Amino acid sequence: MRPYLSPTRTLTCIALASLLVACAGPGPKPDSELQSAESSIKQAEASDARRFQPVLLNQAMNKVADARVLINQEQYKDARHMLQQAEVDAQLAGARAETEKARRAVAEINNNIENLRQQLNSSQQ
Amino acid sequence: MNAILSIVFAIGLSVLMVGCASTPEQNARVDEARATYMAIEQDPNVARSGAAQLRKAKLELDRAQTLLDEGADANRVDHVAYLAKRHAEIAMQQGKRADLEQEISSAEERRKQLMLQMKSNEANQARREAEALRAEMAALKAEKTERGMVLTLGDVLFDLNKADLKASGKRTVERLADFMKQYPERRVRIEGYTDSTGAAAYNQELSERRARSVQSELLNQGITGNRIEVEGYGEAYPVATNDTGAGRQQNRRVEIVISDESGSIDTR
Repeated sequence: MRPYLSPTRTLTCIALASLLVACAGPGPKPDSELQSAESSIKQAEASDARRFQPVLLNQAMNKVADARVLINQEQYKDARHMLQQAEVDAQLAGARAETEKARRAVAEINNNIENLRQQLNSSQQ
Repeated sequence: MNAILSIVFAIGLSVLMVGCASTPEQNARVDEARATYMAIEQDPNVARSGAAQLRKAKLELDRAQTLLDEGADANRVDHVAYLAKRHAEIAMQQGKRADLEQEISSAEERRKQLMLQMKSNEANQARREAEALRAEMAALKAEKTERGMVLTLGDVLFDLNKADLKASGKRTVERLADFMKQYPERRVRIEGYTDSTGAAAYNQELSERRARSVQSELLNQGITGNRIEVEGYGEAYPVATNDTGAGRQQNRRVEIVISDESGSIDTR
């Protein structure tokens, strides 16, 4: 006795199965996302984000910590999202820190120029 | 029965059509990300220095909109919109930083120019000061010798056989005091000399007294004692012959040696 196997049925089965996988499947472990997020945090720290952007940097680090918990619970999809956000948070913290440093450098050099100008003026009088 | 079916079908179709034709779905996060993106899309600094992040922002923004239009889960849309907004913000920071760095390099150029100008001003100032010093020295009638600048107070500035300075001698010392006030790093060495007439001991003493009389006049003028050295040489170091009256008069003198700017004076 041949089993009942119409092409429509087969297709439906495959479609349903893939839908189930897509929705419920935790996906692969987000190892590369974890790595990227951590290296972004290191880079931000190298840009003095701890000094200039401590709040945003902490936010990024907290997200990584939360993601680790999620990974342990095998909630990979949520963990991946958390890590992706941590990465851009850290990058933004680093970028803002760099901007702030550049801003300070501008202020310092302008201050310097002003001093020189005053010295010049006083020496010319 | 057939009529009902076709009515249901028509309603279904129209719902579908309305669904397709309606404006794109709205989501606050996506709107926010789009606004952030639009604000920097045309920024030349961002274009120069934040191109990669700007592109990522655009990709994520499109992805968020697609998900939204497809009716995806709100959390997922929010997540992608979050990434889009962050990328746009990073691009904006990169643009700002590039702008500031340009400002720094042009300011550094300006600073370099100012420092050059200052150096040349200082050189000019030094030249002017040297000229002024030469003029002062010339006014004092100081002569350049191998021991430095030497100002000679001739015999005529003193009373005969006495150590007291005449009024004209005092005026000369006053000019010297003015000079020393203007150049506080300079010191002087006052040296008395006589001709060979008379006892050597007397001449030695007279030379010392004349030198000290110049010293006390300088002190009167407010010059501090540690800037003045005094020495009597008596008949030693004649500058002319002692055989003629004119020669002897040249030998009776007080020489004032002016130090260099470090305050040191060559002694005999």
